[in-house]
Order: sequence, then structure tokens, then C-alpha cells
Amino acid sequence: MSGSMAGNGVVKAATPHVAVEFDRADRVYEPRRELRIRYHIEGVEPEVVRAIERSVLWYTEGKGEEDLGVHSFERIDDPATLAQASPVGTFMIPLPTSPLSYEGVIVKVRWCVRVRIFFGSGRDFVSEHVFDLGGVPPARGPLERLE
Amino acid sequence: MRLPRFFGKKRGHRRTGSQAWGSFGEGLFYAGLVAAGIVFAALLLSGTVNYAPSDSQPVALPWAYAWCLWLLTMLIPGALLAFGGSGLARVVRTWGKSEERRAASERLTVLLDAMGHAIGEAPGHPGVPPCDDLVNSPGTILRYRLPIESPESWTLFGFGLFAGLWNAIVVVLAVGAGFELVSGRIDWLLLALLATFLAVGIGGIVVFVRALVLATAVGPTQIEICDHPLMPGEAYDVLLAQGGSGVFRSLELFLEVEELATFRQGTDTRTERTIVYREPVREWRDVQPVPGARFETHATITIPSAAMHSFASAHNAVKWRIVVRGSPERWPVFVRVFPLVVFPATTAATRAPVRSVALAAGEVVP
Repeated sequence: MSGSMAGNGVVKAATPHVAVEFDRADRVYEPRRELRIRYHIEGVEPEVVRAIERSVLWYTEGKGEEDLGVHSFERIDDPATLAQASPVGTFMIPLPTSPLSYEGVIVKVRWCVRVRIFFGSGRDFVSEHVFDLGGVPPARGPLERLE
Repeated sequence: MRLPRFFGKKRGHRRTGSQAWGSFGEGLFYAGLVAAGIVFAALLLSGTVNYAPSDSQPVALPWAYAWCLWLLTMLIPGALLAFGGSGLARVVRTWGKSEERRAASERLTVLLDAMGHAIGEAPGHPGVPPCDDLVNSPGTILRYRLPIESPESWTLFGFGLFAGLWNAIVVVLAVGAGFELVSGRIDWLLLALLATFLAVGIGGIVVFVRALVLATAVGPTQIEICDHPLMPGEAYDVLLAQGGSGVFRSLELFLEVEELATFRQGTDTRTERTIVYREPVREWRDVQPVPGARFETHATITIPSAAMHSFASAHNAVKWRIVVRGSPERWPVFVRVFPLVVFPATTAATRAPVRSVALAAGEVVP
């Protein structure tokens, strides 16, 4: 990992940063369309990277326990492939029909791209980038239950 | 080296502390259970532990001795080994793996399933519940009869079970008190206890009978629908049939969306429900079913084109449903719920237009 010199003379490890570019500027995708991603890992020396995991997944947010569904998962730990996937890499994934992104009152469904970097020290760093699947409008709000 | 945080914020399965330290602690706990099981079993089998309190001499557990006693003695160390071993195996299997990798390997297991889709998911639609249970009952006029989702039935069952069990205890107490009286003794404490239990028992029966009368007096409500699953932007013909002999001041039909979130609060598991969408479909006033027949009428429900589809995961759900609210003249207002499944809009197929239906006599269109 690269380091930077702080003002007091102490060497501080730079925070890794993963810049992700979506092929759509608004990050809104129709179901079954292809998602194209280009990412750039910054602040990390390529030789300290042991593996990279690239995944496209949905997870729930809100009042309930978090549920997670992985649509696409790829782990790259082969040195030859790793050299091609770091620090810059691209991948394409056809998106599924569901679940669509949803902004409910107590249930929310979010889609995201995650790039997880594993270092030789055993630590890992994850970067998450949210996008929308479908165009479902937010829920109106809680209503009184019928009696 | 970063020291572990012993008081990390935690909610449900989420942890804010180090994943590695958490898994290490979990592994240590299960390893401790396995070690305890092994030591306990070794002590029992070697005879170091005296299992006969009356005999001060250590006695080894003979293999030929009653096998059921041997099995009984090995129950606790066996449970420790099984629980600790399975926990340890789970920790080892998930050690160092990211949550995405764990979830992906679970999904792979599902894909290897002959069904080709996860249990509780519609084929080809991740996160959408199946509608198999909603299309296995043919309707009398329209294609499908929807099942009723009635928590009232379980409440009724609960009241009945409580009344039955409680009054069984009352009978046992009454028999005991009866024998005491016959033998000429009066146990005032037992009589006081019996009177209290009897009062609660009678109350339980009254509550059960009242709930039973309310559930059966109004008459059954049935909903039939022309197609299923439903698609956003499409309209569907719905048949409402209401039985009963009395007059209904009003019968109302609603289309609703309910969100459900299940979470853990301490050791409790709670489910919160919130209605986030309601569309009044139609209302009928002064409905009087003909004796021996049921009131039947049609309505059309339309799923909004930008609507969220039905969604179900382990702890969260978005549910569509038809709700019937009735106001009988002589009974309290009742609400009956009929679940629906709405698929995502992308798979909407071209559908024949909903046939027009003549209004039943006395219907009021809002």
C-alpha cells in the first residue's frame, strides 16, 4: 500500500479508493439490460493486492434484518488475471428482471456494485456503488390500517 | 495490530467490529464446547466420574451395561460435541470469506437444485414470491378463487386452545376438591384457588364463543380473479361473493400494498407491518344477500404501471392484497384479506381486455 507523509513527519497509509464509472450517467438501468462497469483502484500498490472480488448484488435496508442476494460474483486471485484486473478493470453483467430497486417506508431494496480488495496482510477493503434497477417511484407513506 | 472492540454496536446479524475477531471469538466458543464434550465423555467412559451418588467408589461405565442408560449418560457430552462441532465447521467454512462470496456459494447450492430456483421464489424472478398456492383453486365464475389470509382463524384457535387447556386444569382441581369434601375435609386454600381458576376458565370460554360467533355469523367472503399472477399496468376482473343472511350497511373493496419487516429486538423476533398504498376499488351499499344464495358482484382492479412488484426475502416483504371491509347491521365491522402476487413490469404480456360486467342491483359506484 502506498504511503503519504503527514505534516508531523509520521508516515500515514493512504486510504484506498475505488473509482467506478457506470456506462449510464444516471445509473438507472432497465431489467435485462447490460451493466457495464469500469473501475480504477487508487492509493494501492498493485503488488500488495492478493485478490479482488467483483460482485453485483441487491440488499435490503430499513427496519428489518438485512437480506442480501448476489446476482454476479467473480473472485480474481490468479496472479496473471489479477494483473489485468488491477488497478484498472472492466466487466459487463446482464441484469435480472427482479427485484427492482425500491424506496419503501420500512423496506428498501438497493442494487450495488461492490469491489473488494484483499491485501497480503490479510485485511480487505470494500467499495460499494449504488445504482437503480427499474423505475419504481418511492412509496407514498404509511396509511392507517382498515378496521 | 488492532485490538478487538469488546463493545461493538450490533443489530441482528450486523457487526460493526472486526469480522476476523468476531469469527475468531465464535470459533473459540465452539472449540470450547467441543473440548468440554470430549473431556466429559472421556471422564464418564474412563470411570473418573462417579455417576452413582450412593456408591463412593468410582465406577467405569461398562459397555455391556444397559445400553439405554449408556446412551442417556452420553446425551450431554454428545450434545456438546454435536453443537460445538457443527458451529466450528461453519466458522471454518466461512473463515476469511466475504459476505458476497458466502451468499454466492449459497446461491450456487440453490442453482444445483433440480428446481433451478430458490425455494420461495418464482422461477426466473429473484426476490418475487411464487403464486402456486394462489392458483391451485379454481373459481366458480372466474378463473381462480383466492385463498383468504385470516389471522382471525389463528386467534380463534388460540382462544379455543387456551379455554380447553385451562378448563382441563379446572376439572383436575375440582376433582381434588370434590374428594376432599366427600372425605369430610374442607381445604379453603384449594377452594379459593378453584374459584379463581373457574372464573378465568369461564372467561376463556366466553371469549372463545364470542370470537366463534363473530367469525361464523357474518357469512363467508370469497374473491375470484380472472388471472394470476398480476402485471403492472393491467386491469383484472374480480368477483366478490358475500354469504350470510343479514343486511350489510356497506361492503367495500380495496387494493393494498403492505410492507413487512422482521427484526430482532434482544431475544425477541418482531415483525412490523405498514400499509403504503391503498386504492378504494368500489363500494356497495345496503347489501342484502338472498336467503339460500350469496351476494355476487364484479369489480375491476388496476395495478399501477409503475408499481413495485411483490417482493419476499428472508426478513423483508412487499405484499399486494385485496381487502374486503364489511359493515353488517347487527355485527361489528369485519375485514378480510386476500393475497395477490404482482410480477415485475418487464414480463408483462399482451392480455385480452377485461370483459365488461353488468352492475348488480343496488350497487353504488364511488
